[in-house]
Amino acid sequence: MFKRSVRKGNYAYTVTRVKAKKSHLLREEDYDKMIQMSVPEISRYISEAGYQKEMADLAGKYEGMELLEHATYQNMANVFNSILGASQGELATMVSAYLEKWDIWNLKVILRGKSYGLTGNGIKEDLVPAGKIDEAALDKLISLESIDDILNEYSRMGKVKFPADVISDYKESGNLGVIEDYLDKLHYQRLLDSISPYTQPTKIFLDYIRRDIDVVNLRTIMKLKSEGIYGEKVMKYYIPGGMQIDSKFAQLLANAETVSAAAGDMSRLDVFEEYIKPVLDFDNYDNKAVVSAIKKYQEDQAKKMAHMYPLSVLPVIDFMVHKETEVRNIRVVARGVNSGLGRETIKGLLVI
Amino acid sequence: MAAAEAAGLIAVGAGLAVGLTGLGAGIAEGNVGAAAVGAITEDASLFGKAMIFMVLPETIVIFGLVISILAIFVM
Repeated sequence: MFKRSVRKGNYAYTVTRVKAKKSHLLREEDYDKMIQMSVPEISRYISEAGYQKEMADLAGKYEGMELLEHATYQNMANVFNSILGASQGELATMVSAYLEKWDIWNLKVILRGKSYGLTGNGIKEDLVPAGKIDEAALDKLISLESIDDILNEYSRMGKVKFPADVISDYKESGNLGVIEDYLDKLHYQRLLDSISPYTQPTKIFLDYIRRDIDVVNLRTIMKLKSEGIYGEKVMKYYIPGGMQIDSKFAQLLANAETVSAAAGDMSRLDVFEEYIKPVLDFDNYDNKAVVSAIKKYQEDQAKKMAHMYPLSVLPVIDFMVHKETEVRNIRVVARGVNSGLGRETIKGLLVI
Repeated sequence: MAAAEAAGLIAVGAGLAVGLTGLGAGIAEGNVGAAAVGAITEDASLFGKAMIFMVLPETIVIFGLVISILAIFVM
């Protein structure tokens, strides 16, 4: 019985910690206040709202907008690491599979940085060590010279096997995009595999991830379509495993030449009617507004599932989604204020 | 003989009352304790409240104990 409970995960402990952290997240009225502030005032405000340690740690190294951006990412990384450290058993397996996206983000940053000849410190500035690969291991990756060495080392660290055809495609074309696309697909595949659908909460989590794959695919399809790319080229980026967008439906959406031509088919998706349709303007297509609408959908989905099973992985994922949104919102406000955008415009870009 | 059998059954009942309520309290305290430690980790000022929640499941054992005392001494 005890062995089973360890394997199952320490939900009571982790969920309570997560709920306590969630109570400190910024609210709509906080963003309303922040919109009216300058960047240093925003920095001070978020310092009092839980970002104090990271702001103080990085204050000697950065200032202004840079300080705020690094501190928010560092804070998110610290919070996610504390959740990962606190969780055990199947909960830890699911949380670490969910956070693998940050390992992949970091690997992409390192690969891009190396290929553009950036210095180690330059690359390090853009890393977000929120996944299971810690800062020391990331430093080791940065210290390696060639892309091949980095991929080999990452294969060992992240237990990833890069297929020979992906490596040969990369070597032939010299395009890192081939590896990046493979990593994105691999992340979702591994995440889906990490969730055992034998209990109701994990079934709900699985459905949430499958919906997440749908919105990622939809975002890619719409972005490429807005740039005039359609057909087979779009399908190269298709991530399998979605709930509503299977390969057949993705092909249908990809083949439409414009966003307006795909709108009819898109209306079959849950996300379309309530979220995308109100911001969709075919004459003057705004991808940012659509991305914000999709983010809002993701957040609402997380919110919906959070209260269904209190002692499960669902509140943990809900918090992580909200924390990511909070960091994104703070950066949007600060960047908006910094570049002199109007208050209403900034507010329109927030996901609340 | 019948009286001895009845006394034996009463003793078994009293034992079950304490034993099973103890198990129930243990299971409940497992979750409550883990949550209490989680809450205290995030905010140490919650220690007092967490302690109160921690001892609440103990009442189940007290009910069991009362029943077993009644069984042994009153019946």
